[in-house]
Amino acid sequence: MFSSFRQAMAWLHTWFGLTLGFILMVVFFFGSLSVFDREIDRWSIPETRFEPQVMPSFDEMLLPILRSVEPNEEDYNTNMPLLHDTSQGPMTPRTELPADEFWAYTTHRDPVLIMGVGFRVPQPLDPEGHNHIHGNITIDPRTGKALPDDQLKIGSKFFYPMHFSLNWNWNRIGIYIVGIAAFIMMAALVSGVIIHRKRFREFFTFRPTKQTQRSVLDLHNLTGMVALPFHFFFTFTGLLIFASFFFFPVTHTQLEPLHKYHEMVEANETGLPHDRAGVPTDMASIDAMVAKAKQRWAEKDMPGEVGFLQINHVDDANSYVSIYRAGSDRVALVGEGMHFNGITGELIREEPPRSAIAETEEFLTGLHLQHFEHWFLRWLYVFGGLVGAICIATGFIFFVEKRKRQHTLQGSSGSQVVDALAVTTVTGMLVATVSMLVANRLLPAEMVGKGYWEQVVFWGSWGVMLLHAFWRSSAVRHMRISPAWREQSILFAVLAVAAVILNWITTGDHLLKTAFHYWPVAGVDLSLLVSSAIAIYAARFLKRRENVAVHKAIEFSAQNLEASRG
Amino acid sequence: MVEIVCWIAAIFATMLGMASLSLSLPNHWRQVTGIETSLPSRSEQLSLRILGYSSLVVALLLCLAADHPTMAVLVWVMLLSLAAKGIATILTWRQHWLKPILWLFNRSELN
Repeated sequence: MFSSFRQAMAWLHTWFGLTLGFILMVVFFFGSLSVFDREIDRWSIPETRFEPQVMPSFDEMLLPILRSVEPNEEDYNTNMPLLHDTSQGPMTPRTELPADEFWAYTTHRDPVLIMGVGFRVPQPLDPEGHNHIHGNITIDPRTGKALPDDQLKIGSKFFYPMHFSLNWNWNRIGIYIVGIAAFIMMAALVSGVIIHRKRFREFFTFRPTKQTQRSVLDLHNLTGMVALPFHFFFTFTGLLIFASFFFFPVTHTQLEPLHKYHEMVEANETGLPHDRAGVPTDMASIDAMVAKAKQRWAEKDMPGEVGFLQINHVDDANSYVSIYRAGSDRVALVGEGMHFNGITGELIREEPPRSAIAETEEFLTGLHLQHFEHWFLRWLYVFGGLVGAICIATGFIFFVEKRKRQHTLQGSSGSQVVDALAVTTVTGMLVATVSMLVANRLLPAEMVGKGYWEQVVFWGSWGVMLLHAFWRSSAVRHMRISPAWREQSILFAVLAVAAVILNWITTGDHLLKTAFHYWPVAGVDLSLLVSSAIAIYAARFLKRRENVAVHKAIEFSAQNLEASRG
Repeated sequence: MVEIVCWIAAIFATMLGMASLSLSLPNHWRQVTGIETSLPSRSEQLSLRILGYSSLVVALLLCLAADHPTMAVLVWVMLLSLAAKGIATILTWRQHWLKPILWLFNRSELN
């Protein structure tokens, strides 16, 4: 089929890149936004615009709040019938479920505290299973006041899941699609280097004044090669994070008995009880345990704050408390976990030093998940992600430029469709993202289901951009540039400025006030303004190129006409 | 504050490194000299590469001075990409900015 290895690689690179490139574009762009997901959360929920806090007193503030949390209604309605054994009696009503597990989580970038309760199913179908109905709450740790659940954390609960699951949760299909795309990305990187290996001799070349096909290929190769380590490592570590998920889920199918046995052995070895004793008992002071854990960390020369705290088997003789350190000062996601007896408050277990393999794994996943505190590296990651997005986008444009003449002569609409889809995934995605931010500022905070409507605006505007891209794409068939690129750039620029102005009007936070005082909001505003300026520049540039293309297209059809007259 | 100084120095070091490495390639050498027939001699190519790689090593040391080693390696790798992109941009629109590096070789035709 192919006369050379290089041709085979070119085929692989072109067709797999084209089909999965659209997914990769979404992954790269929302990955770049996810670097600052917490900052986007602050922008979208103005009530949470204050400095990050350390975890407040558990006994005095958090415990009473956790005791008042109710199981989530949706979770109860979906999962309770599946977990409950009807032969033992009717289902326990939602509000009467007993708590089994409490947890609280915060990071150095989170002013808010996220907490949750795992409620026990008293008469479970499978007593060995993980029988929990959940209830979560986000609070302001300064006052203990609950923040309305209806407000969507756009950064960490929409853009971030978009990055790894496309927010398509049906049977977790989104995660699988992104996984396949990531796998293809690895293949595309290797095959790309093979196709363009001669390019190493002109590594730094970009010729913007050459014809579009040439200069776009330059940019594609350049952005692919300069950030090759980033592209490779992020794709690889992304796959690694989900490795146990992408491989057949054997631990819960064929190996289920072994998995359960391992849990028992582990519980024996660590001294952390696997099951409840069934004897109700009062719990010791959690704050005292937190103090002990902090003291132990300081002794080990790594003083730190609490990042994650979990109480297992709440109010039971077997209860124990796990306290993990917030890992903001290093790459690896290290918890230095301390486990205490919940009744006596004694230290049961301190996690031993990790093996070299575990350390490597933690470094690799940690460099991708970036829980560390390092604003400079965060921006470098944004740079890497956006360079990747340029690489993918220029790949689409090269595909179209290379084929549009041939397709026009054959009467094929192939390049027209690819161009329209490229417009949708490049400028259309930007418009959808910024529309969501505008909707966030326009819809009233107390609106019921606000988060839902924000998502409707996101998908709706993206859909409109798709229609617009196809409507305007006929230009490609006539050897011209689709005006949709320029029009959507302008729309994006307008909406981005609107988002900044609306933020000012609705919250009173303008740049003069936030810059140097509250970077999370100032950073989002500034990024929007800079993106808007770039979009305007791109639109003007496209206008000039469109005019040139019109002249060329006229020449082209004149030649055609002459040729057909013979 | 110290780490910010180290990062800025590291940015310059990686830029210098990438600039030297780019000049060791005949295509980019010609771009900067503006002379179609000009080529770096073998010894010039070698010294450009030595200067290039050693600047990159210096940049790594600067990164290590600023951060925990695990973090420093990441910063360094990302700076390599940033510098490569930066030099490519300079070679496209501002080639003459790289001329000072050529002065090291003091060849009459280049001046």
